[in-house]
Amino acid sequence: MKTCVIGSGVTKVDRHYDKNYLVLIDEAVSKALADSGLDVSDIEYLVVSTAFPESILNQADPSTYIAQNLGFRKVKALTVSSGEVSGAVALDYAHALIRSGKASRVLVVGFEKMSEYPSWVINKVYTKILEYEVEGIKNVTPPDYAALITNEYMRRYGVSRESIIRWSIKMHENAVKTPHAQLQFTISTDSLSRALRISEPITMLDSHPTSDGAAALLLVNESVAKKADKAPIELVDVESSVNLPIYLREDLTYFSATAAAYKRLSSRNGVRLTTNTAVNVYDTYDIYGLLTIEALEICARGEAVRCMDEMPYLNVGGGLKARGHPVGATPLYQVHELRELMTGVSWAKYDGEISLAHAMSGPDNNAWLILLRRWA
Amino acid sequence: MTSSRFRVGIVGWGAYIPAYRIKAKEIARQWGFDDRVTDSIWIEEKAVAGADEDTVTMGWYAAKSALLRAGVNPGDIGAVFVGTESKPYAVKPSSTIIADALGISTKKLSTDLEFACRAGSEGIRISVSLVESGTVRYGLAIGSDTAQANPGDVLELTASSGAAAYLVGPADESVAVFENLVTYVTDTPDFWRRDGSKYPAHGEGFTGEPAYFHHIVSAVKMLMDESGLKPSDFDYAVFHQPNGKFPLQVGRMLGFPREKVLPGIVTPWIGNTYNASALLGLAKILENSKPGQRILVAPFGSGAGADAISVLVTEKVLERVGRAPTVEELMARKKYISYAEYAKFRNLIHRNLW
Repeated sequence: MKTCVIGSGVTKVDRHYDKNYLVLIDEAVSKALADSGLDVSDIEYLVVSTAFPESILNQADPSTYIAQNLGFRKVKALTVSSGEVSGAVALDYAHALIRSGKASRVLVVGFEKMSEYPSWVINKVYTKILEYEVEGIKNVTPPDYAALITNEYMRRYGVSRESIIRWSIKMHENAVKTPHAQLQFTISTDSLSRALRISEPITMLDSHPTSDGAAALLLVNESVAKKADKAPIELVDVESSVNLPIYLREDLTYFSATAAAYKRLSSRNGVRLTTNTAVNVYDTYDIYGLLTIEALEICARGEAVRCMDEMPYLNVGGGLKARGHPVGATPLYQVHELRELMTGVSWAKYDGEISLAHAMSGPDNNAWLILLRRWA
Repeated sequence: MTSSRFRVGIVGWGAYIPAYRIKAKEIARQWGFDDRVTDSIWIEEKAVAGADEDTVTMGWYAAKSALLRAGVNPGDIGAVFVGTESKPYAVKPSSTIIADALGISTKKLSTDLEFACRAGSEGIRISVSLVESGTVRYGLAIGSDTAQANPGDVLELTASSGAAAYLVGPADESVAVFENLVTYVTDTPDFWRRDGSKYPAHGEGFTGEPAYFHHIVSAVKMLMDESGLKPSDFDYAVFHQPNGKFPLQVGRMLGFPREKVLPGIVTPWIGNTYNASALLGLAKILENSKPGQRILVAPFGSGAGADAISVLVTEKVLERVGRAPTVEELMARKKYISYAEYAKFRNLIHRNLW
């Protein structure tokens, strides 16, 4: 049984001071339902993805209240919370439900509300993506690791600081063309000297912003998809792998979990990524985007800063860097953007057969890949 | 609501800025901030009230200057308002201390007003109404603060001390007459201090777009809609200035060219004096203005509200500038202190007194 995406909807990624998570989700779900032609009563499963509902919203299992708010009654509702990769895990679960024949129509909803508190509170919450008993209590934060890895990458491959920031420059250029992106302005190499440092050499310009947002995807089986009046996209496969703790890695500049997941996904499905494949990868920090396209074997190691110029379909939505990172929703935004790209809705025109979304927790601690294909 | 066209004006004004200054970069270094944070919001240094200064002493000085400039009999002042969020007494008015020290009549209205950084301008609005209605001949509105900031909070880079005072009275005695006054107020929790809490808290980015920018833009647009005035009709625009960057940004949003906004910006060199912030900017403009010029002043207070006031300068301004210290003279009078001295003056060091 194949899994198809026949509807998707997202809110603008922003600091939504005037909307709570239920309002954001309502907007995304309404768009996804309208897009798919399905009705609330058609949905069998509601799979909710969010990373920090208890820390930020004081809410355990928000799926119950989301279902109530959306007017679902007969639906099976559940919450998937798996840190930064929650959205990918939720899609894997939905995919499994459909492939197994247990469900034919699954609504996957991702959201995060990161602007509820001042940044010192939110930074503390976000640091929970690392291991509390190792990094958390020692005050090692996510950008500290990005700083270590950036320094090591520059030293090992002789890459300049100005070359690294080119990733962010490209992401901002893409975000300007993406209506739902958060940071819709361009930056330049000159901006780097004025940028506030977070953890030397990581600055605000290297990092994702704090984001609110909600995204919804409608996953259905083939027979439901055949009735849809627009060309659906198939969710072909999901693969993942877990890396060693960063302090046990021999090479900080190699994302081996992403690489291992890619090798398995690639051989199982007989696909290979090239510079012309649409990919949507996690770039919480610019260095992570660069290392990911190397781990996915699109670019040779140490070459990503040059090779990315040859990738016209790299993070067309602006990446986490500029589209933003509403954590639990981010992988759903990625799939939504790839679907728009493959169905001719996006600003970029793409005629490739496949595309790939990549999500990961921290610096490749837990990497997930989602393979999409045009469905004929 | 528009009111007071040409019937009420500013009869006198005064300013006070403490002599002590601390460099913003010294505060940044103290807490391990990135040095560039001071450039990103444009703050060079801030004024620090000495150990023997507070809202009352500073407010008195500014009010004394306003009375000197106005040359009126203190006995004719029928209302005294002090807008502040740093009252020396939690219960007991500051306005009564200042009024008595100035020899103002006992037959008067007198109260302290609280609305974060715009209580002083609310004092002006109330005074305008009192004068216009004939209830009082003159009303004195003072904005004065020794602004608090949690040590190590980004607010500490800017929160400073200072005062401004405006004597409001009949238009024919005024250095500038009020043309239009409007106020835009909502319940927006961008910045607050709970009872019993030593320092204010704030919502970071929330203090910007939905608070400062939304309220000032709304108030100024309301004034323009009601009056038919356009940015090109104004010679200067003065906005509340929590830092140097925000007033330039809000000016841009409203279509005011940089050269009309820059002359009224004082915060980068004295910090954010809270209730005196926009009012010191207005004082500096008045001291350099020519008769016939039109000034827009738009104070903002968290919580949140913004006023938009347009005034027309009269020829009387010229003879009154020199009667008391000007903002520029007070800005130039400065003595640099260390973070330790600043901490001592602002009572940030906890010690047993005996």
